[in-house]
Amino acid sequence: MFTIRCPYCGERDQSEFSNGGEAHVARPKDPEQISDREWSEYVFIRANPKGIYYERWVHTHGCKKWFNAVRNTSTDEILKVYKMGEAPPPLKEFKNTIKTPSGEPDVGSGNFSVKKP
Amino acid sequence: MTESKIYFKFDGKKYAGNQGDTIAAALLRNNVRLIGRSFKYHRPRGIYTCGIEEPNALVQIINEHNEPNVRATVKKIYEGMIVKSQNRWPSLKTDLGSINNILSPIFSAGFYYKTFMGPKGFWKNVYEPLIRRTAGLGKPPKEFKSKSIHQHHNIDVIIVGGGLSGLLAARKFAGTNYDVLLVEREDTLGGVLKNADKIKFINDQPADEWLEKTERLIRNSNNIKILKNTLVTTYNFSDHLIALEDKNVGKPQDNEKPEFVLHKIRTNHTILANGHIERFITFRNNDLPGVMLAASFEKYLNRYGVVPDESPVIFTNNSSTFSLLKSLTDLGHKPKAYVDIRDQKNIEKETVDLLEKFNIPFYPKSEIEGCEGQKEVKKVSIRTKKNQISKIKTSMLCVSGGFNPDIHLFTQSKGLLKWDETLLTFKPDRIFQKTITLGSVSGNFSYEKLLVEVEKKLSKFEGLNELEVKFELNGPEKFQIKELWETKHEKKSLWSKSFIDLQNDVTTKDLRQAVNEGFNRIEHLKRFTTNSMGTDQGKISSINALGIVSKILKKDISEVGTTTYRPPYSPVNFSAIAGRSTYEFYDPERKTPLHSWHIRQKAVFENVGQWKRPWYFKKSEDETMHQAVQREAEQVRKTAGILDGSTLGKIEIKGKDALTFVNLMYTNSFTKMKPKTGRYALMLGEDGMVKDDGIVCKINDQHFIVTTTTGNAASVLAHMEEYAQTEWPNLNVYMNSITEQFATFNLSGPKSRVIMSRVFNDIDFSNDKFPFMSFDNFKYLDTEIRILRASFTGELGYEIYVPPSHALKLWQKIFIYSRDFDLVPYGTETMHLLRAEKGYIIVGQDTDGTVTPLDLNLNWMIGKKKKDFIGKRSLTRTDIIRETRKQLVGLVPVDKTLGIEEGQHVIEQKDLSLPIKDPIDMLGHVTSSYFSPNLNHSVAMALIRGGKRKIGSRLFVSTENLNTIAVEVVEPNFIDPKNERMIL
Repeated sequence: MFTIRCPYCGERDQSEFSNGGEAHVARPKDPEQISDREWSEYVFIRANPKGIYYERWVHTHGCKKWFNAVRNTSTDEILKVYKMGEAPPPLKEFKNTIKTPSGEPDVGSGNFSVKKP
Repeated sequence: MTESKIYFKFDGKKYAGNQGDTIAAALLRNNVRLIGRSFKYHRPRGIYTCGIEEPNALVQIINEHNEPNVRATVKKIYEGMIVKSQNRWPSLKTDLGSINNILSPIFSAGFYYKTFMGPKGFWKNVYEPLIRRTAGLGKPPKEFKSKSIHQHHNIDVIIVGGGLSGLLAARKFAGTNYDVLLVEREDTLGGVLKNADKIKFINDQPADEWLEKTERLIRNSNNIKILKNTLVTTYNFSDHLIALEDKNVGKPQDNEKPEFVLHKIRTNHTILANGHIERFITFRNNDLPGVMLAASFEKYLNRYGVVPDESPVIFTNNSSTFSLLKSLTDLGHKPKAYVDIRDQKNIEKETVDLLEKFNIPFYPKSEIEGCEGQKEVKKVSIRTKKNQISKIKTSMLCVSGGFNPDIHLFTQSKGLLKWDETLLTFKPDRIFQKTITLGSVSGNFSYEKLLVEVEKKLSKFEGLNELEVKFELNGPEKFQIKELWETKHEKKSLWSKSFIDLQNDVTTKDLRQAVNEGFNRIEHLKRFTTNSMGTDQGKISSINALGIVSKILKKDISEVGTTTYRPPYSPVNFSAIAGRSTYEFYDPERKTPLHSWHIRQKAVFENVGQWKRPWYFKKSEDETMHQAVQREAEQVRKTAGILDGSTLGKIEIKGKDALTFVNLMYTNSFTKMKPKTGRYALMLGEDGMVKDDGIVCKINDQHFIVTTTTGNAASVLAHMEEYAQTEWPNLNVYMNSITEQFATFNLSGPKSRVIMSRVFNDIDFSNDKFPFMSFDNFKYLDTEIRILRASFTGELGYEIYVPPSHALKLWQKIFIYSRDFDLVPYGTETMHLLRAEKGYIIVGQDTDGTVTPLDLNLNWMIGKKKKDFIGKRSLTRTDIIRETRKQLVGLVPVDKTLGIEEGQHVIEQKDLSLPIKDPIDMLGHVTSSYFSPNLNHSVAMALIRGGKRKIGSRLFVSTENLNTIAVEVVEPNFIDPKNERMIL
């Protein structure tokens, strides 16, 4: 149970929010003009990385506003929160939190309680 | 000190204990050693520890809640308490289940996985009931009302543990600006200061005096709140901790007061000062009643004034047992023997001096090989340094195998551990959250270094108090230990066992067998053997298991690693988790403005989401549901019926771009639709699947009111909000739920027009003036109502939207004006039947998220000329236009007397007789089925593969037994296909 800083209401408990999946997946402007494959990629295919993830949240039990967040999926750290329509912060802003190629940080992922030095 | 006695019963016998005794302390006071039978082998078990780590002494409290698996070492007695032992039959002394112990070769690791494989059906009917009777612990409680509450805290600092380290930390914070919570799981502060006689003076005062002064000082500071009898069970992300406070310590239940408080604590800094737990050593029969951990024995002496045994044998691999030796000899008791695995030259001088002074038999470089005895320890067998076995008569053996920092909470917080070669245990290494560990939990077993540690780790806080503390110790300051997990022992008989997990009856032999069978990863090994999976979570034994496994695998312990520590730290009662969210408070109940009328008319209610809706109305006490539904359905088509449709979701949409928005949300086109008309509309997901349906009413291009299904009201509004905010924020559109602003009546049937004309005698309901799917607002008394001509039954029908305050009066008025027509109130079941006769779908019953409008023959509802709407592009995907998709059809049984069951399979094959050799091709399933009183036979709808092309053919529907029912596939429209009754 982590907390999220709603850009409209401030820091609140996670239980007040609902996750809306990957952010910045634009709905195709002219759906009729694209192939089945391109359309189904928009409808069904989402990234699922271990590490930095740009995702949408909605303050369901609050102001009901949608916003974007950057979260480290292996530690559940919310690294940044920004409003809909604002440009996404560049990935390099968060580079330091990724320690291994798979995106797993040294401490906090909970996969191992003991690490070899 | 004279204390009043408290009387309680254990297995029917009355015993007396002292105020503040735990059940275990009171039983030891009365020399009761045998407390229960073990989980698998039904071996006799006693009291092993003196606290939360207890694996053995689990009992059942008989009261309103029938609490099972209560740790006798934690629960305090109260007057008249009734305690029972567990897992034994017929009695604790003669337990028939103990035959399992003799049969134990077949109960080895992975026994359940390997043994109960077949024959088919045996698991459910024979094995499981049998295992449930013989294995397991206490009996579950009966249903009861939880009296627990939840409390939330937002604080700066939490200190977990009110022992010496926690008190020093609290002392630093006392009177500062930090908002601090000090949480202690026992009923007194002090921890080890209270349990053992290790410290003589603190700041030249006796330890007890210092403790009392310190507590007073903390209590008088206005920034620290002390919670006693409160156990922190969980350490979540964002420094969120959960703690369980027992409000009934040493008291019987009080139904007026909360029994538990579940504290949910959000903090900025977490100070873990939750100490350590002593671990055991494995030897032969190390589970016999009479074997007890050394520090626990000492705790009984110091905290409860109970002497569990006056002359026990002490067995150790470390320096800590000095204080037990001192406590016992101070009381004038003399241990039978002192067995230490270390060389005499490594054993502390203080200990050796004390042994010599009291002439206690001393066995250095020796170990306990095993114990003898049937129901309790009678003899211990010592392997001396010359490898000779020497037997000593004794009834108690105190064991110390070293100490583990209580790292459970630290690892829950996702901190990392490292192995300490001198302490021979895991200790915290790197933190992940804002965690500070103090004292023995951090691996600091030295009192001298404690103050330095506290000062250093709290130096980041500003404005804390200066602290001066000086300790004068009773025994050796430095903690010394030599590695020993299991002693060398020989198997004497089938009865001999060496346990690594006492609660789950896992032996060291099981660990070896599991490794031999290839379970060489610790997480796999744990699950295969069930080691450390009991309610105690292996608190005294899990590190020992790692030690033994590392030896078998010839790896370092740090390479073996630990299993994952997950919350809760120790079992949490369901009643505490539930809090007040039970029964009527579990989920809100929503009732329509007509609810009281429904009750008076003997409605039987159905839950639809949170709503209570009339399912059917009982005309008389002995009318069955089938009779009632048939009667209601017949009457609607004969004269008229009325349904309470207030639960329908209603959403008002306004804004300059409302028309554009509604066109995007629904499949239909609303551009050319005239104001004051409605349209049956479909909402799709972006994948083209039907999400909801309803009626869209257009007041003008800037103002719409749409209805949703009862269950989807909230999700449809959320869906609209999502698109309005994220996809089309440029559209000027606002929406709001008005579900509860209007009660809705659905009046339906051939007589509904004349009823409406009588009730609203100033409104012209003729077909010209009030055609099908038109609506208008009308003045009604001091308010306004909206009437929409629509129908979900296929009959002439009207929907009346009225403010809730006027609903009941208007509803009653309608009945008064319809006396001549036998107007019948009908419920949801009749509504479903009537719509099925017409082939109208129910979203969620005839659809399941894999059904498109094309599959439902609703192509006419798709605004093909619209450039875009949600899901439009998906409707031309190759998979969606595939002709072999499942499509909605009607089914009518060939034998008109037969009924079809919902959910049954539709197949091509008539014969289902056994044995079925080849898999039977399932074409689809029956989604709706009713007996139609108006057609006098069953009608059903089904989703079947390539259904449209199968119309006119004959198929079969499976039944509960192996028969099939022959059915005719028809268009799903059974009554009045031309809709003549509806639009007249």
